[in-house]
Amino acid sequence: MIGLNHYLLLGTVLFGIGAYGVFAKRNAIAVLMSIELMLNAVNVNFVAINRFLQPAAGMGQLFAIFVIVVAAAEVAVGLALIISIYRHRKSVDLNDFNLLKW
Amino acid sequence: MLIQDVMTFSWLIPVLPFLAFALIGLFLHRWPKWSAACSIAAIGVSFFLSVLIAVEIFGGDPGRAFEMSVRWLEMPGLKVDMGILIDPLTAVMLLVVTTVALLVQIYSLGYMEGDPGRASYFAYQSIFAGSMLGLVMASNFGQIFVFWELVGMCSYLLIGFWFGRPSARDAAIKAFVTNRIGDFGFLLGILFLIIVFGTLNFGELAALIPDYHNLAVLLPIAVLLFFGPVGKSAQFPLHVWLPDAMEGPTPVSALIHAATMVAAGVYLIARAFFIFSQVPQAMLLIALVGGFTALLAATIALVQNDIKRILAYSTLSQLGYMVMAMGVGAMTAGMFHLRTHAFFKGLLFLAAGSVIHALHGEQDIWKMGGLAKKMPITTWTFVIGALALAGIPPLAGFWSKDEILLGAFAGGYTGLYLLGSLVAFMTAFYMFRLIFIAFFGVSKGAEQAHESPPVMTGPLVILAALSIGAGFVGSPWMGNVFGLYISTPGAVHHPVNPTIMAVSSLLALAGIGLAWLIYQKQAVSAEKLRQRWPALYHVFLNKYYVDEFYAWLGKVFVDAGARVLEWVDLKIINGAVNGLAYLTGSSGRTLRYAVNGQVQSYAIWVMVGLVLLLATVLKTVFTVLV
Amino acid sequence: MMYYQLLGPEITVAVLGLLVLAGSLLLPSHGKNALGYLTTIGLAAVLLAVILNFSREAIFFAGVYQIDMYANFFRLLFLSAALLIMLMSSRYTGLFGERKSEWFSFMLFATLGMMIMVAAGDLIMVYVGLELMTISFYILTAYLLNDRWSAEAGLKYLLIGAMSSAVLLFGMSLIYACSGSTVFTEIYQALLAGSERPALLAGIVMMMAGLGFKISVVPFHMWTPDIYQGAPTPVTAYLAVASKAAGFAVLVRILLIAFPPTSLDWKLILAVLAALTIIIGNLTALPQTNVKRMLAYSSIAQAGYILVGLVAANTYGLKGVLFYAMTYVFANVAAFAVTAVVEVAEGNAELESFNGLGRRAPMPAAVMTICLLSLAGIPPMAGFAGKLYLFSGAIQGGYLWLAFIGLLMSMISVYYYLHVAKAMYIGISSREDRVLLPVPVRIALWICLLGTILMGVYPGPLSELTELAVQLFSAV
Repeated sequence: MIGLNHYLLLGTVLFGIGAYGVFAKRNAIAVLMSIELMLNAVNVNFVAINRFLQPAAGMGQLFAIFVIVVAAAEVAVGLALIISIYRHRKSVDLNDFNLLKW
Repeated sequence: MLIQDVMTFSWLIPVLPFLAFALIGLFLHRWPKWSAACSIAAIGVSFFLSVLIAVEIFGGDPGRAFEMSVRWLEMPGLKVDMGILIDPLTAVMLLVVTTVALLVQIYSLGYMEGDPGRASYFAYQSIFAGSMLGLVMASNFGQIFVFWELVGMCSYLLIGFWFGRPSARDAAIKAFVTNRIGDFGFLLGILFLIIVFGTLNFGELAALIPDYHNLAVLLPIAVLLFFGPVGKSAQFPLHVWLPDAMEGPTPVSALIHAATMVAAGVYLIARAFFIFSQVPQAMLLIALVGGFTALLAATIALVQNDIKRILAYSTLSQLGYMVMAMGVGAMTAGMFHLRTHAFFKGLLFLAAGSVIHALHGEQDIWKMGGLAKKMPITTWTFVIGALALAGIPPLAGFWSKDEILLGAFAGGYTGLYLLGSLVAFMTAFYMFRLIFIAFFGVSKGAEQAHESPPVMTGPLVILAALSIGAGFVGSPWMGNVFGLYISTPGAVHHPVNPTIMAVSSLLALAGIGLAWLIYQKQAVSAEKLRQRWPALYHVFLNKYYVDEFYAWLGKVFVDAGARVLEWVDLKIINGAVNGLAYLTGSSGRTLRYAVNGQVQSYAIWVMVGLVLLLATVLKTVFTVLV
Repeated sequence: MMYYQLLGPEITVAVLGLLVLAGSLLLPSHGKNALGYLTTIGLAAVLLAVILNFSREAIFFAGVYQIDMYANFFRLLFLSAALLIMLMSSRYTGLFGERKSEWFSFMLFATLGMMIMVAAGDLIMVYVGLELMTISFYILTAYLLNDRWSAEAGLKYLLIGAMSSAVLLFGMSLIYACSGSTVFTEIYQALLAGSERPALLAGIVMMMAGLGFKISVVPFHMWTPDIYQGAPTPVTAYLAVASKAAGFAVLVRILLIAFPPTSLDWKLILAVLAALTIIIGNLTALPQTNVKRMLAYSSIAQAGYILVGLVAANTYGLKGVLFYAMTYVFANVAAFAVTAVVEVAEGNAELESFNGLGRRAPMPAAVMTICLLSLAGIPPMAGFAGKLYLFSGAIQGGYLWLAFIGLLMSMISVYYYLHVAKAMYIGISSREDRVLLPVPVRIALWICLLGTILMGVYPGPLSELTELAVQLFSAV
């Protein structure tokens, strides 16, 4: 029987994969996608917790919807930034973005 | 009814001059005329309010007082209030300070005419007036110390006002450094007060101290507190700065270094009288220091040749008188003398300033002479001031000086009484020596002198009137109203003694007569007297070599100490400090490279930090699980 | 009875933001200047409304949103900061060209986000407010699109900020799992009854990390210098004073209201982090040659000082947090305003550009010096009073060593602050012309100067205000 713990484990693993992507990917868009993965891991958590602990109330689902909406806004801004930076530098490799340091 | 209305606005009295200072400093400094007008208007309103307050206070019962305060700072174990306290003592000081400040500022219109730094001069005058008024209205020691330092700063700025002159710069630094010594002791005293009693408020302290009998604590506190007046009121051995302070413009000497700021020390003793009067040893010390200063300065004044220096030593001597009065317990007499002295000494300085102004900066009395015909108003107001200072009845100085002598005599301090009488004689002598040489006699190069403009002679006339009349409030004719209001527990008051009055008047007359014989009639040759006691003459002329002694002390101890410390500093401390600085700097230079510009490495740092935190927090939980 | 008019400030700011956005799309270019004035006047009006209703409190939607004096204090702070930024940026916005007017609306949305954050009594509300603020800041940071530094700073901020949001959210989800609720008061009740320890602890730590990112606590601080240096200077200033204060406001409220003291002893953890933040921030500031970057490290150090007050968590410490946050607004906005003036005149914010400023622009140089000294905690400036509260709170709370580190590092900080003063007064510049100073910037500088000095010499009123604001926590 699949219980809450399994879902939480899935969430945590997804979160970890996302974090790994943030560290390891060099393409800015891929990093953005990894962050989305982390956010979706959180959504899995919220929905599962809601389903198993408080099926009557909807707070967790509500939270997940908010997260989805905000994440969409974040991605929109992020892609816009990446496009504008690509216009100047002809690159989306994060290694190249180190004008600001020390 | 009305008292509340006036009193609630009393905080404006110090605030207005401060506002004037800010206005001049920020906006008006390009227009000297407007700066002066702003400054005078502010002190004028303060004067008006002070008069209203005096009417309220002296129209009511003697015990009347008004206090209000706001919480300034609250810390664990420390509460500091900012407040104003208005009792008869404050009311008197407010009247004295605002009157003299207002007159001096008006006088300065003429005296400083054409000086390029007029705007900043009036700005300094305003901030001084504000600080001085804040000082006399303070309701606790902490606040009094703040304003105490502020007036010291103004004094420094104004002594060095003509900073182009090296002597003015040196004098300013000397005043500042000498006052530091006094203020340091004063601050220590205040800190002890707060440690021992937990409050600095005058009223609360006055209630606590009579029940506190541990003299071993109270004596050091009293002595340390007395350091403040010793510095600010230029008592021996810190008196050396005041004569040099005459480098400032003469109206400044009149206001700050004769009438008000230097009297702040005396005011402080009066304000803290409830502490001093509990410690007989401290009172004796105060009396002795005051008496000694009075005598020392009077003897030096006998042989000086610079008109402002004579007045400066006279001020020292009179301050010594006041401090001595405090020491013998005659607090009322001391405050009374402070008040009359402010008027006649302010007058003397302003009149001297008028002479200096007319002679384009000449200050040597031997180069004056015969001024009486050229400058009648200046001369006669100066003579009135001198008569008041000499203590000729019924002028103001007579009544106050007599009160002090009476206090010393009736208090059993016969030695101090005799000393005081001797000083009174000398005072009369040196003042009239000055008058006969500078104002009468043959003119020596003062042909082009002319009377000063009305804006300068007006304040002289007003001050002359005050020098004549200000003493009556303390005279037996008016039932000694002054003493009725200005008194605290511990202060003594004695019935009038006609003998003392007669003796002191005769001594003053004798002093004047002797001066007349030597310098006007020339019946006795001053030169011969000089040759008779050459050692004494030179000791007086060179101010007892105190300055030289301090210079020697400085050379021997400070310089030698400095050399030792320099070695320690260079070889040991510098090495340590530089080493530490290098260590700090290099750790900073190393740390900055952690921020390498790669956003992903920042993300790794975040995660590593998070994992470490989680590990720390969950450590106990996991150990249980495992 | 709900006093909906108390939500007026939020509603007004939201409507104003939308109006300005619409206006900037619809109005002809010469009409767009009016939008700046509209924003400034609107903010001033809202500020006035908050001041007038300061002591009125109300709870909305069963605790999800609460207007109390604590929230009002921070609303006051954000609105004053926003107003000052509006004034100081009057000339700088010229660099934004055509997109100048939209800038105002993003500033308004960021302000709205912060106001929601501090009044939130619910995790969802906190998250929404936080993201509204943060996304606005992503855009504001990259606002100089043609400037490579600005664009890079924006992208970096977005990536690392979004990741921190994910951490924060994961923590929130764990708290939700342990308590079954997202409302602070309900969480408190549920946790009081006991719950899963490891998940709860992990949740609290992850939330602390997520918020620690916003207030740039070591080791979550690495983004700060890059973003502060790259962002347009007014944005940097707002980021430094307001975004950080909002982070603190939320952190304090969550730690003290939502979690019972039994759940986790977070004080020692925060104490260690505060010490590290103070040390690393100050040390790294020492070798900096760019004033904006130096101020960024300085702001990290300042966050450490403020954290000390939270560690103490007694009345003095919490008062210190609020007091310091307020004094920090005035000192820091002034410093950034002068930096912006120099940037407009010289084209960059390197230390050499400040050479000779004491002669070329005496007033800004003097204000800068005084405000930097305030940041260093030199009496009689406001920063001294603030540090006094923070450190005496720490000593009272038994964290003498922390107060000692704070004092020691404050001394070191004087070095890099005075470095700027030295450049301004002793440094030699090839240019001798006066630096242009627009009237609004002048006004902003005067307000900052007066605020810094007045709050320093007479801290009484602000102290009373903070006392009212932290009453909320005395019941806990």
